[in-house]
Amino acid sequence: MPGRSLRVPTLRKLAEAWPWWLLVLALVGVRLSKGAGFTDAYALLSRPFWPGSAQSEWLRSAQQLERQSNLQQLQADNQRLRGMLQLERTGGARISAPVISRQPGGWWQQLELGKGSDAGLRAGDPVLAPGGLIGRVSSVTPTTARVQLLTDSGSRIGVWVARVQRHGLLVGQGTPRPRLQFLEKDTGVRPGDVITTSPASTLVPPNLLVGVVQSVNDDLSPAPEAEVQLSAPVDAVDWVQVVSR
Amino acid sequence: MGVLHRQRWCGATALAVPLLTLASPAFLKLAGVAPSWAVLWLLPWALVDGPASGAIAGLCLGLVLDALHLGQASEVPVLIALGWWWGRIGRRGVPIERSYNLGLLALLGSLVLGVSLLLQLSWSDQLPLSLAGLHTLVAQSLITGLLAPVLCSLQLLRWRRIADLRS
Repeated sequence: MPGRSLRVPTLRKLAEAWPWWLLVLALVGVRLSKGAGFTDAYALLSRPFWPGSAQSEWLRSAQQLERQSNLQQLQADNQRLRGMLQLERTGGARISAPVISRQPGGWWQQLELGKGSDAGLRAGDPVLAPGGLIGRVSSVTPTTARVQLLTDSGSRIGVWVARVQRHGLLVGQGTPRPRLQFLEKDTGVRPGDVITTSPASTLVPPNLLVGVVQSVNDDLSPAPEAEVQLSAPVDAVDWVQVVSR
Repeated sequence: MGVLHRQRWCGATALAVPLLTLASPAFLKLAGVAPSWAVLWLLPWALVDGPASGAIAGLCLGLVLDALHLGQASEVPVLIALGWWWGRIGRRGVPIERSYNLGLLALLGSLVLGVSLLLQLSWSDQLPLSLAGLHTLVAQSLITGLLAPVLCSLQLLRWRRIADLRS
């Protein structure tokens, strides 16, 4: 009994399908540009539904409170840095941007912002919400920016536990609570300790509030790890501020 | 290939996939995880239009969705395979119409897609094979399987009618 013959499309048929090859080629372009056209089109279509200015005012007042609470620590830290490293950092401009797409759960934890390179945003810029740091800009298009949240599994950022003067690496886990990895064995960190960005960081502005230690696992080898609750409510924020570097 | 891909408006409905992925409506989430919109669109398309069209549609959707996400993990290989598989199922035997069948196929598709992403993220040392990954995998498969009987059957009926009229 003869087997089924494999039907191979002829060259003529393949040539007739040239519009489909063009489409696939265009989509490869979309893939390589990380969806520039799609996110720009989405920003244009969803513009009528963007959050209003009330959130922006609330954001400003919340940040004023945050600044007051951090003032003492910032001053002490500035003096220490000036004395030790002569590190001169001028804080970049803060650009307010609306959140136009939010995916805090699932395989990727990311936000899309309604401002992009036209407004001065660049990849790597830190992103703040009321309460503290929430992530960094991953990629930009002329009118949108994609933010990798601190909870994303690919996120890694150096942080500082001020009470015990220890550095750690905040690693996203794909869950609402990232993990804080330490370098030394005896850290003395305990639940309730406040986590800020590293005073010596060159990637993000120093002394930005990040979160609070929820639990510490001292039994891990070679160094303990802690679970961190972020201080900024990523699920609720409609406006963020991007610190241009 | 079937005749559905010749209808521009039918193909244009695929634009809903990236738009819904970006909009990510909160009321259609399960435990904070959105359904796999690509699976929900691709399943009826491939069942009606055949394996070749399904595979190409899977390729196109995968390229767009990869562009909208962080990192290098890709949905393209699994979406191509699912498009081809569902196209083959649609071409043989009794046409699939029952809600249970559609839900099961969508659930399986979402499960395979999720496992491939979990393995890619795990291999790239981004996401450990932990409870977080399993939570996303299970939640996404369930919500996709639950929505499929509603959304896929509507698309299936509409597109089958168009295909019958044009063929």
